[in-house]
Amino acid sequence: MLRASTEVSGAEFDLNAVNGSVAGDGGIEGGTLLHAFAEAVTLRDAARTASLRDALVDKLGEAAMIDAAAIAAAFHGFVRLADATGTPAAGAAGGQVTMEFRESLGINDFHGARNA
Amino acid sequence: MSEIRYKGPYRVRETLVEAHRLAWRRIAEPGAWLEGERRVAVAAEVRAAEDCALCRERKEALSPFAVEGEHAATDRMSAVEVELIHRLTTDPGRLSQAWAEGILAAGVTEEVYVEIVSIVCIVMIVDTFRRSLDLPPFDLPVPAAGEPSRYRAPGARRHDAWISLVQPEDVVESDGDLYGPTASPVVKAFSLVPRAKRDYWDLAEEHYLPGSEMTNFATGVRAIDRMQMELVAGRVSALHQCVY
Repeated sequence: MLRASTEVSGAEFDLNAVNGSVAGDGGIEGGTLLHAFAEAVTLRDAARTASLRDALVDKLGEAAMIDAAAIAAAFHGFVRLADATGTPAAGAAGGQVTMEFRESLGINDFHGARNA
Repeated sequence: MSEIRYKGPYRVRETLVEAHRLAWRRIAEPGAWLEGERRVAVAAEVRAAEDCALCRERKEALSPFAVEGEHAATDRMSAVEVELIHRLTTDPGRLSQAWAEGILAAGVTEEVYVEIVSIVCIVMIVDTFRRSLDLPPFDLPVPAAGEPSRYRAPGARRHDAWISLVQPEDVVESDGDLYGPTASPVVKAFSLVPRAKRDYWDLAEEHYLPGSEMTNFATGVRAIDRMQMELVAGRVSALHQCVY
């Protein structure tokens, strides 16, 4: 989905950012903050989450911070839905996720890749 | 019924608050396969898992199967249901088909499995959102009386997932509003129990995107653009080691 949205927008963005291996916004406004916020929420780092909330409100506005929090929370559900039901990765993102694409992002190193 | 309100320094959009109210009310009501009391017990077990020493040890172990012991549970669910809820809550990235088949072989039916998983996902979404705003979790709802519908989608079959699901061409009228002529794998995942599918997606779409916007990569329905949304989504998924 990130790849498709960058293609539509014309932005140049290194998708390895989702694995934390790229520094900088990468062409996405507030990208560094959003990336760090998603990480802090997932890792339950309350202090870091609090400071990043403030930073996001300053940079993108309160509604943007709320939507970032809502999406981070949503994916705490989506990952469990997929992992518990053995949802086949082959159909993800309209079938655009090839083995080569997964390999390039390191997804094939995830434990669940053995199931997919 | 517990009160679902947002008090605090941030203004949460009303559609999101309403989605949380609906989700909490539905957890309390009889489902398709579980009574209201058992559904609320699932939600309580999700929270118990957060403080479970066995789950913590397993999460840190090279293999979760290398650590034996008993979950710190509420004693309101069976042992195998507790295993399902705790593992899914605390270590979802290392679930396997063999593990899921073990849960089913131990007596949890596919229908109950799907309903429990949907409740776990719903509670994770709402509790994570509250935590991200430094707000305490909502009190769990008071269970409502009544009998489950015991509806299993008649067109559900085993395909390429671990659990039976309904392909779009196998949807029947009694399934209610399930999906149109096409559906992605995640949308079909809970379709064995249409009520569980609707409960989950009504909340998830309000948090993420309406179904009609999923393939609109220039969507403007949220206060951040699609690239920003997918960056957050991708980072959360990667940290969970979610292949999908």
